[in-house]
Amino acid sequence: MVASHVLTGKERGAKIIVIDPREIQMSRLADIYLRPWPGTDVAWLNGIMNVIINEGLADTAFVEERTEGFDELRQVVMEYPPEKVEQIAGIPADGLRAAARMYAQTKPAAILYAMGITQHTTGTDNVKTCANLAMLTGNVGVPGSGVNPLRGQNNVQGACDLGGLPNVYPGYQVVTIPDVKAKYEAAWGVEGMSGKLGLTVTEMIEAADKGDVRAIYVMGENPMLSDPDLNHARHCLEALDFLVVQDIFMTETAALADVVLPGASYLEKDGTFTNTDRRIQRVRKAVEAPGQAKADWEIICDLARAMGAPGFEFASPAAVMEEVVVTTPIYGGVSYDRLEAVEGLQWPVPTADHPGTPYLHKGKFSRGVGKFNPVQYQAAAELPDEEYPLILTTGRMMFHFHTGTMTRRTEKLEQEAPEPYVEIHPDDAQRIGLNGGKRVRVSSRRGAIEVAVRVTSTIRPGVVFIPFHYVEGPANALTHAALDPIAGIPEFKVCAVRVEPV
Amino acid sequence: MDYKNVRTTCIYCGCGCTLNVQVADGEVVGILPCPEHPISRGSLCIKGWNAAEFATHPDRLRVPLIRREGGFEEASWEEALALVAERLGAIRDDSGPDSIGFFTSAKCTNEENYLLQKLARAVIKTNNVDHCARL
Amino acid sequence: MIEAIRARVAEKLKELDGVIGLRRSPEGVAPYLFHTEEELAELVLEPRYPMSSVVRLLQKRHPAARFGVVARGCDVRALVEMAKRNQVDPERLYIIGFTCTAEEAEACHCADPAPNVTGWPQAEVIGTPVAAGSPNPMVAEYAQMPRAERWAFWQQQFKKCIKCYGCRNICPVCFCESCALEDPLWVEPGVMAPPFPMYHMIKAMHMSNRCVACRQCELTCPAHIPLTVLYDLIRQDVENLMGYVPGADLEALPPVPLTLADAPIDLDVE
Repeated sequence: MVASHVLTGKERGAKIIVIDPREIQMSRLADIYLRPWPGTDVAWLNGIMNVIINEGLADTAFVEERTEGFDELRQVVMEYPPEKVEQIAGIPADGLRAAARMYAQTKPAAILYAMGITQHTTGTDNVKTCANLAMLTGNVGVPGSGVNPLRGQNNVQGACDLGGLPNVYPGYQVVTIPDVKAKYEAAWGVEGMSGKLGLTVTEMIEAADKGDVRAIYVMGENPMLSDPDLNHARHCLEALDFLVVQDIFMTETAALADVVLPGASYLEKDGTFTNTDRRIQRVRKAVEAPGQAKADWEIICDLARAMGAPGFEFASPAAVMEEVVVTTPIYGGVSYDRLEAVEGLQWPVPTADHPGTPYLHKGKFSRGVGKFNPVQYQAAAELPDEEYPLILTTGRMMFHFHTGTMTRRTEKLEQEAPEPYVEIHPDDAQRIGLNGGKRVRVSSRRGAIEVAVRVTSTIRPGVVFIPFHYVEGPANALTHAALDPIAGIPEFKVCAVRVEPV
Repeated sequence: MDYKNVRTTCIYCGCGCTLNVQVADGEVVGILPCPEHPISRGSLCIKGWNAAEFATHPDRLRVPLIRREGGFEEASWEEALALVAERLGAIRDDSGPDSIGFFTSAKCTNEENYLLQKLARAVIKTNNVDHCARL
Repeated sequence: MIEAIRARVAEKLKELDGVIGLRRSPEGVAPYLFHTEEELAELVLEPRYPMSSVVRLLQKRHPAARFGVVARGCDVRALVEMAKRNQVDPERLYIIGFTCTAEEAEACHCADPAPNVTGWPQAEVIGTPVAAGSPNPMVAEYAQMPRAERWAFWQQQFKKCIKCYGCRNICPVCFCESCALEDPLWVEPGVMAPPFPMYHMIKAMHMSNRCVACRQCELTCPAHIPLTVLYDLIRQDVENLMGYVPGADLEALPPVPLTLADAPIDLDVE
């Protein structure tokens, strides 16, 4: 539906530039389409800034008034002339110049991206470089501009907002700051909470192998299909002393559990989700849950009571939200009454009379002036070689959601896309000697899977693509658990594989 | 003989489209898009149009399950939660709070994420809380 | 207008099992089955929803019930085509029709902005009919295009399609239990955008003698494909060649047979 808004922009005369290793549907509607090698984003983004600065297309007034660190940025991006970028990223120099001019000369201009930018060992660098580009052209703090990450799951934003992260309490309040910890100890009426950083999902699974983490409680997640290097992840989860999974189906993860608790689906409970533009919206109960299944919020409250812990006496999700807003400034003005409106509320919404915030950094950055964070290009952690000559990049498709727990149990979705496949360029298919074969074996240093093959020129020669939704051909049996050092995100978008006919 | 629409938010992807869930006599009978909603503007993708079917799938979990010798056995809520409380408490007492980890969920509600991280931080006293935002 | 409609609905509620209309609750407007007069303060007329499809759904769920419906001209036209195909039962339906405003007629380029309830056993119309909206200028523009340009025009439009099936799902006269659009014999599954022109041509062919120009398909299309241009042209052809206007007349039979028994071929069925 975000694409639908992009089309509205095009109807009003907006230009579209698509830069993607795969020729996605939007690229056929684009004014410029460029196809880089996966894992070279910092290089070509720096190249675009190189052209913008050299051709005098930067927004100098914005750079002077609202940013700092421009000289350092200039120094770094001067090392990325388009001809050099062509060597690294495989984007023709003239194409890069045309894209740079179009982006810089069209105001306002928005950057939209999804996991193609973030799921790299240089994911944080990629995001910083996007922000550099937006600031260089004054495309921040104005409607229709900005750096717009598109969230892959319905409530990734909300799970982060509400403290589902190892380093922060709700509202991104850092756990290692003693005053913040004291505030939460007071609010929750407890003492002795932890003041040190917790572990990420990938680190917890790793720690299970070593015996440092002995029990894991999983609510509505399926790491046995969504995590990188699945064979290793299974080995780690099996090493746990105790695994609890709360879900609506017997997922691949639940099948390993010691206790499985039946949850309610979104149709059977009240609550809120926060979408990709920080919009808090209502979830409303439509029907009763099947059998003895219970809403996840009720299960957690019941468990807290079973553990003898006070502070979980909630009559409804609305009552939970009343507690949330007290300690979470960005949600401070939220109430279920206000959320009746169809447009919901966009945070930050600090007070009950605050209208919410449709776009950030208006007039002023959160930190005052915007800081350029120039970054040098670094290659992906695992590159193709003689043994594994192709780059595998994984991702989603329109017809399925994440690990397919729900969409693969939906007839009209499953009939569109019933089996896993690999997309491969005709040149590669010929070299491998597919000869019209329908199935291939794809292997990496971590594992191997057999999938159907789709020969298509929408993918770059040298690159193959596999969607990760399928348990019977799990792309994550192949992927590499190399992490971005800051964000801890795995490099799903680049690893080395070999494809052979079967 | 009742028919109404319950307005809710789609569970597939971060767009956050509004769904009108058609409910007749306590049963979901279809989904309609919502023209008033500023993001979805009366449109849905194929997943949104079909976002109700899985909920009545026969595979739905209906009863708590406990693993015993030979596989899962059905249990009462009381028994299942008592076991979870006892095991988590014992592991915390033996090996410390950081020997337990919690996966909150990008598919669950804000309130549920809040409660589970509160349980981890205030009751178990660990910051080992994360979800699959990165995955 | 709304007060007059509420008064008539209140009257009919006394004898019917419920009246289908739009309800504005705190969470927004959506179709609803009204039962009591007290609820009618929440009865509204906008925005557009496929009300005739709700009639079909509820009549099928409750085979003996008698419902009313608050309906626009296009809703009634859809009910006409549905009735001919045994999808709604006119004997169990009371239509409270209302006329669209001039602005609404213009926005929809509607040729017929008042309900025509001729032939319906139980129906009434509230409001004064307004003039037809101006014709969709895109239809005239398209008619000027040479053949090759027309092909390119649709090719460009259908490249945007994301195969949501929304045009079919919301269409009041698309109710087949098994749909050719989902038959792998006709349309290769999982291809995005769906194969041109097969996917959209199948839909267009099936609309040829039933599209009532309600515009719901175009309103729900996330890719902003001007579907009514295509269907308007087909409607014009069907009218010019066969003298049939879908939705206009409850008694008129469509030019394409409705059952195999009507087919002008010797089926030789045992």
